[in-house]
Amino acid sequence: MKPSLSIKPSTDERVIIFDSSSIINFTLNGLLTEFRELKRIFKGKFIIPLEVKEEIIDKPMQIKRFELEALKIKELIEENILELPTSMGIDESKISAKTKELMNLANNTFSGRQSPIHIIDSGETACLVLSTILSERGIKNIICVDERTIRMLGEKPENLLDILKNRLHTQTITPKKENYKFFEGFKFIRSTELIFVAYSRGLVKLKNGIVLDALLYALKFNGCSISDEEINEIKKLNKA
Amino acid sequence: MQEKENILRILNETKEALKNKNSFRLKELSNQTVHTSSIDQDKDNIAIAVLIYSLSKIIERKEFQSPKEGKKLYNYLLDQVSLCIEALRKNEDEKLRKLMEAFRTHLEKVLGGLKPYIQDVFRKAQINKASKIYEHGISMEQTAKLLGITLFDLASYAGQKPEISNAPWGQTLSVKQRVKLAEDMFR
Repeated sequence: MKPSLSIKPSTDERVIIFDSSSIINFTLNGLLTEFRELKRIFKGKFIIPLEVKEEIIDKPMQIKRFELEALKIKELIEENILELPTSMGIDESKISAKTKELMNLANNTFSGRQSPIHIIDSGETACLVLSTILSERGIKNIICVDERTIRMLGEKPENLLDILKNRLHTQTITPKKENYKFFEGFKFIRSTELIFVAYSRGLVKLKNGIVLDALLYALKFNGCSISDEEINEIKKLNKA
Repeated sequence: MQEKENILRILNETKEALKNKNSFRLKELSNQTVHTSSIDQDKDNIAIAVLIYSLSKIIERKEFQSPKEGKKLYNYLLDQVSLCIEALRKNEDEKLRKLMEAFRTHLEKVLGGLKPYIQDVFRKAQINKASKIYEHGISMEQTAKLLGITLFDLASYAGQKPEISNAPWGQTLSVKQRVKLAEDMFR
């Protein structure tokens, strides 16, 4: 299932795949103007799988508390800022079928005393599947995800194992290490890296010496898994 | 109901904490159920964690401090917890679920003017428990699904927990490398 690393991008096409967590973060922080600006300078597509659309539009649209946010995101789709995989001729049913398969593998990778631990769900898994399909077509892509579990599973599954063991105060978590390979090779960024790009290219309208700090912390406080130390490092990169 | 013995112990200790009007202890007990909930993801266990956490908040209200009304409310809570223990002992899962639902509806009824407050307490308890489960390594989406809340609810709450964002395991690639990944896409 992992993206074929041996396949070099054969086209100029490029795609950023968004998970629910990062879109929600931009929306809750009122950063959709910056999001649109990023799309404007991006030579490619911003794509969300159907499973993510359900999480960030269809479900919250039924809940008064989040109806407004859902409407704002829906507008991004109407403006083609965000697009669905069908816009690239990718069959949704193919993604869904492969998502089930990969989710099953992920959710059988760590086991507790008696049963496997269900660690991820369909939205984030669909992002991995879409990334694989795009890589197979030679399309350069990256996944933007703010929540940490899927990122750790892809980049350092041993860290995820440590969290499970440490937080559950038990050593009785058994990893099926042979599954790790199915999640290797994906590339991840977060909303914080995207806002850094927006800031460094002058796309952020607000001008003040501490604006980058404020943006990064706003994203952190709305769910981006980034430490204070990492934020300080990003700020140093801006000065470099 | 998984982890039955453990939940029975927790409910018995919940009774004691209620007798002692100890809201801090109730919060601790609620957190204890989260460890098992993260692994087993048993919805009944999770509902119990949410209920106990909600009780810890509700008994802090002034209505529970009045000698007469407060005593009546405490007696109701103690009786309900006893009934839950009994249902659990007899493996009557459906009855247990109904009893747990009754807590909320009864409290909303007897504390009429506080209905929105009680609804809010239960919602916040769900979000609190969800953030605990997310802290344990379960993804945000999966956690939101388990607790019946939205990702919007969970994102801002979880983001404010240093236990999650500042945990050393979270950094899986250097900042420089990740920023480069983003910049490369925009070249």
